[in-house]
Amino acid sequence: MKLEGTAKMLRIHFGEDDKWKDKPLYRAIVEKCRELDIAGATVFRGIEGYGASTLIRRPHHLSFSHDAPLMVSVIDSEEQIQKLLPFLDEMVAEGLIAMSNVEVIKYVHQDGKRS
Amino acid sequence: MLTAGPAKKVILYVGEDHQYHGQSLYSAILNFLFYRGISGASVIRGIAGFGADHHLHTMRIERLTENLPIKIEFVESAEKVEELLPKLSELVGSGLIEIQDTTVVKPSEESAKTSAKPVTPSLRSEGKAKLMRIFVGENDRWHDMPLYRALLESMRANDIAGATVYQGILGYGANRRIHKETTLNLSHDRPMMLSVVDSEEKLRAYFPILDGMVEQGLVVLSDADVIKYTHSLTNPEKKKEAQK
Repeated sequence: MKLEGTAKMLRIHFGEDDKWKDKPLYRAIVEKCRELDIAGATVFRGIEGYGASTLIRRPHHLSFSHDAPLMVSVIDSEEQIQKLLPFLDEMVAEGLIAMSNVEVIKYVHQDGKRS
Repeated sequence: MLTAGPAKKVILYVGEDHQYHGQSLYSAILNFLFYRGISGASVIRGIAGFGADHHLHTMRIERLTENLPIKIEFVESAEKVEELLPKLSELVGSGLIEIQDTTVVKPSEESAKTSAKPVTPSLRSEGKAKLMRIFVGENDRWHDMPLYRALLESMRANDIAGATVYQGILGYGANRRIHKETTLNLSHDRPMMLSVVDSEEKLRAYFPILDGMVEQGLVVLSDADVIKYTHSLTNPEKKKEAQK
């Protein structure tokens, strides 16, 4: 896989408790990206936030029902990102998807080196 | 890389208790030299001494070993020394810098592969800048140090305006391996992202160093507008007001 020059970065914001077919939405998105052979995807957990619903999401240390804000960052060529968008549209019921331009400086991997 | 022949020996004298941006001054200087690709440097602690302030610093118990003299020595080519001097003079503050002519008889075998870059102006408080994101794995290492920490330190040593490390909870990258946090396993390899903002020139000047450190991962650059960039050191009154 090669990625160079100008690419697109997609950032998808939603909550940790959001589900897609009984599976955490973030996991479903990462799996979908892999299925479509997208160059890479990373999920980040925020510590506080609010979104379209204006409901403040804040992880509670004392309860298990924390709905922390999550962000999935996906970077690939525009063509690949366009392939992903229809699926995201269907999967992300409530959330934000933003796209921006990025310039790829480096994209490398070494087969089998990481254990 | 240091070769046999004429060279310069630089000696900096500072106090052990002197601080630079929240870390001890001598380690800030050592970091700077390290990430600028100096072949080698030594820090030597004196047992007593005095300087411009004519204060005697000693190890006598009743005075509770305070601010002992520290000597930082390194040998480099004249050009490299010339290049580093402005920043070193700024770092050393009230301390002393001494340069001697010396001759390298036998250079040490291995030298760092990072190279120094000319100093470019630092981030202004507003305007156009670039945002660089670096994606690596938590377990990636550079010289026995976590790669993300080494990157952060090398950026600091190269005067990059600021960098933040984010830890991801799930992800995959170029090598198609899924990285995730597992509660039952301590040796998890989570995805890490460094977000760095500075002027385009400074980031581009830093690329060769970055290139030598990141063996696998993704580095992307995008445009950013700096709305505000301040720190309390230049604006102590504002900080006080904010705390009220």
